Amino acid sequence: MTSAPRALLAIDAGLATTTVSLIGRPAARWRLLGSLSVPAPAEPDAVAAIVVARVAAADRGLADRVDLDPAAVGELPRLTATTPAARSLAVIGASRRAANLLHDAATRTPWHVRAASPETHDPREMTDLALRPGVEALLIGCGDPPGPDERGALDDVAALAGAVARRRPELPIVLAGPIDRRRAWRDAIADAGGAIATDDPEAEPGASATPEGTARSVEGRILRAPAIRLRDGADEPLREILEGLLPRSDVARHTMVQAVISLADVLDLRIELLDVGLDGGLRVLASPGAADQGPSGVAVRTATGGLAPRVVDDRAVDEVLGWTTGSLDRHRMGDRLLDLRARPWADATGDGARLRLAAARAALTRLAAATTDLGMLPPPDLTIVAGGAFIAAPPRAVALAVSDTIRRTGATQVALDHARLLGPLGTIEDPDERRSVLAELVDDLLAPIGTVVVVAGATTGRRGGQRVGTLALAGDGSGPTVELHGGEVGFFDMPPGERAMATLEFRDAIRFGRRARRLTVPVSGGVGGLAVDLRDVPLRLPERRDRRRAALAQWNAEAWPGDDR
Amino acid sequence: MIEQQPDPLGADVDPIGLSIVPRRTLLSDSIDAWFPLGPGDRPRVADEQAVAAGDPLAELLREPRTIALPRSPGRKAPVEPGQPWSAGTSRRVRGGDAPPEGELLFRSGGRWRVAASERFETLVAPFAGVVREVRRGIGIRVAADARAIAGTDVLAGPTSGRLQIVTAADGQLRAQHVDVGAAGAIIVAGARMDAEALARARAVGIRGVIVAGLGIKERRDFVASERRGQAAVHGLPQFGVLVLDGAARRPIAAAHMALFEALEGRSVAIVGHPPSLVVDATGIDLPMPAPDAVRVRSGPLTGAEGRWAGLAGPRRFPAGVSVEAAYVRFGDRAPIAIPIGDLERFA
Repeated sequence: MTSAPRALLAIDAGLATTTVSLIGRPAARWRLLGSLSVPAPAEPDAVAAIVVARVAAADRGLADRVDLDPAAVGELPRLTATTPAARSLAVIGASRRAANLLHDAATRTPWHVRAASPETHDPREMTDLALRPGVEALLIGCGDPPGPDERGALDDVAALAGAVARRRPELPIVLAGPIDRRRAWRDAIADAGGAIATDDPEAEPGASATPEGTARSVEGRILRAPAIRLRDGADEPLREILEGLLPRSDVARHTMVQAVISLADVLDLRIELLDVGLDGGLRVLASPGAADQGPSGVAVRTATGGLAPRVVDDRAVDEVLGWTTGSLDRHRMGDRLLDLRARPWADATGDGARLRLAAARAALTRLAAATTDLGMLPPPDLTIVAGGAFIAAPPRAVALAVSDTIRRTGATQVALDHARLLGPLGTIEDPDERRSVLAELVDDLLAPIGTVVVVAGATTGRRGGQRVGTLALAGDGSGPTVELHGGEVGFFDMPPGERAMATLEFRDAIRFGRRARRLTVPVSGGVGGLAVDLRDVPLRLPERRDRRRAALAQWNAEAWPGDDR
Repeated sequence: MIEQQPDPLGADVDPIGLSIVPRRTLLSDSIDAWFPLGPGDRPRVADEQAVAAGDPLAELLREPRTIALPRSPGRKAPVEPGQPWSAGTSRRVRGGDAPPEGELLFRSGGRWRVAASERFETLVAPFAGVVREVRRGIGIRVAADARAIAGTDVLAGPTSGRLQIVTAADGQLRAQHVDVGAAGAIIVAGARMDAEALARARAVGIRGVIVAGLGIKERRDFVASERRGQAAVHGLPQFGVLVLDGAARRPIAAAHMALFEALEGRSVAIVGHPPSLVVDATGIDLPMPAPDAVRVRSGPLTGAEGRWAGLAGPRRFPAGVSVEAAYVRFGDRAPIAIPIGDLERFA
C-alpha cells in the first residue's frame, strides 16, 4: 500500500482565465483526465468539482482507480502557477537616447515601462511620473562615462532621483551607471540621515551613498546595475535586477521556462515556447542536454507581448487592424480592444474569436520585435504555443498566426499547450521529478497542430501565385506530388501521429538555411496538418489596406474558412 | 448567432456551475477613495481629519510649470523635497515674475527646482469621510462607510450631485435632449452618449453622467475638451463620467437600474479611484438581484438578462469555436446555450 497520490490538480491561475486540469495515475503513468478553463478569477475548487464530476460521470471505473471522490475535491494535492498583473516601472534617462536604451532593455522584462528624459519632459513631469502610486520601481541610468548628450542634464536627473528616493521610501530605485558618483545624487540623499543604502558589494566605504557610509542598514532599496552601452547592448544584468524586484515563486512565466527546459530534455528536441497572456508574453528557446551539459534555455518575458495593451492608443489599434480582414474602423477597433482588455474572456466566439487572434498576432509581432536575439538562434524542432487567445481558434489558424509573425526559414512542429499544464508542472522543484512527470504526460500535454515549413525566396516577383515547385510526401507509402505556388501558404492534411519525409523541389534556388533547389525535411501530422509557407521572410504585407486585407483573406481562406471581409 | 437549441435535458438550476460565471460586485459596504495629487498641489487636510461633503481637500495647480530658484531657500533652516515654497513679495526668479507658491522638487547645481503656478483650483471632498492618508505630491486617501456602486472607468471627476434618471436603460441621450433642468444633477444617461451630448451636459451645469458604455472616440474627445476647459481662465466646475460597463454599446444592467431608481433624488458622488458611485443609502433598502440572475455581457444577445439553467458543457459557436457554455432561461422560453465568458452575475 502506498500513500502517493493517484490524482492531483494542476491549476494555472492567469489574469484572464483560470484553468484547472485533473491529472491521474490510473496505471503505470500519469495521464491528463480532464481540464476546464473559466473566466478569472475563479475559485479552483469550484472548477475542480465540475471536472471531477465529469470524469466520474464519464468513467466511474477510471475515477475509482485514481481514488477520485467528488465530495473531497478540496483534499486533492495541487500544483499551482499564477500570473500577477504587470507592474509599472518609471525609466528616466539624462537624454532621449539614454532613456530609449534603458526603455529597450526594460521592455524585455515583465515591467510596464514609462520612459522620460529632460528632452521630452520637464522636471515637474518627471517627478510626477516617479511619484505616481502606480509606479512601483524607478530606473535611472547613464553611460560610463556619460555621453555628451547626457552631461548637461545628468545632475538634474540624479538629483531628481535622490529627491524621489526620499519622498517615496517604499520605492526601489535601480541606478544603471555611475549615478551615485554624482555630487547631485550625494547631496540629494545626504540629508536623509543615512536612510538610503546601496547594495554595491564593491563600493568602498568612503564612496558610499552617504557621507558616513552607514546607509547599508536599509536593505537593498537602491540597486546598482551596469551602465548602459550602445554597442554591445548586453542587457542581461539589468534585466535580472529588474526581474528580481518582481515575484518569481510559482509565477507561470518563470515556471513554464523550467518545464520547457525539462521537456526539451525529455523529447531531445530544440523547443521554442511562445506564450501570449493578457498582460505579457514569454518566449523561450530550450535545448536538450549534450554530453555532460544539462538542458538549457534562454527566455525573455515582456509586458509588450501581452494580448491587450494597457493603453489602447492609435498604435495599438493599428497593430491589430493590420491583421484583420473585417471592416472595423479605428474607433470601433479601439472599442473592441478596450473591452478585450477589461473582459478578456468575453466575446470569444464569432467575430470576437477572429479579433482575438488578430490581437494575438499583433502581440506575437511585438514579442518577436522584443526578442530579436532569440530569433537569430537556430530554428526549433518544436514550437509550443500557449495562451488563452489560441485555445479556441482553429488549429490551422494558430499555425498560420505563428508563421505570420515568427518568421524564419526552417521546419518546425507546432503544438498547443491546450490544458495549460506547463506552468503548473514547472512548479515541481526537483528537476528529476519534473522530468519524470513530463515524460509520462507528454502525449497528453501537447495538442499537435502539425508542421510548418517556411521557405524563403520562392516568390515570383510582384505577381506571385505562380507555380514554383512541388511537394512530395513519403511516409509509410508514397504520397502524391502537389504543386507549390510562390508567395502562398499551402495546407495539406496530415493526421496526428503520422510522420513522413517531405521533399520540396523548386525551379529556382530558394533559401532554407542555405540556398538549394531541393530539400527534404521530416514532418509530422496534427489536427492542422502540414503548412508550407512560401511567402517572404520577413513577411511583407501591402501598404494599402484593401490589398493587405485581400492578401490576409487569401491566406486565411484555408486556415479559417468563412473569414469575414 | 447563438445556438438557439432548447435544453434537451430540461435542466434546472445548477448552483455548482453558477459559481464559475464571472461575478461583479454590485454594491460595496464602504469606500476607500484615492484622490491623486501632483507635484505642487497643496493638501488642505491632515491625517485622521473628518471631512464633510464640499470641504476642501487640496488646492491643485493650474498650468503648472517648473522654475529654478537662484538662491537656496534653506539658508535659515534645512528644506526637503516636497516642502511648500513661497516666493514672498519681491523675490524674482528665473523665467519671469515670481509665482506666489509652489513645491520644492529637487536641488541641482545649487539651485532648487520648484513646481509652481500662479493659479490654483480647489479639490473638494465629494462625500463625507475621514482622511486616512495624505502624501504631498502623491495623493489623499479618504475612507467612508458609505456604499458604492462599482463601475469600470471614470473620466474627469470627482464630482457630486443629486441622482437623476433621464433616459431608459437602453436609451442614448443626444445633445438636443440634454435638459438644463438637470443642472446640478448626476444623470443616468442609458446605454451610450456621444461627445457632443457630454459637452452640452457640462455646459448646462450637469455635474456628472452615468452611462453603460463610452466609446474610445467619445473618451478622447471628452478628455481633450476637459483639458481645454481646465486651461481656460476660469476653469470648469466639477464634472465626471462614470462608465459602468466598457466601450461597446449595451444597456445598463437591470440590477444597476434598480439601484438608481431606488436612489433617485439622493446625493451621490463619482470618484475615480476606485471608479465608483458613492451613494447615501441611509434609511432605504437597496434592491439586490436574484442569486440565479445572469446577464449576457457580450455576443449577439448583449444586454439580455435571464435565469441560470445549468451548465451546457463545451459547445460549438459561430466561427467554429468551441467553448464552455451554460443554459440561460429568458422569460418563459426554453433555455439557450450561451458561452460562459459572455455571462456575468452581480453579487
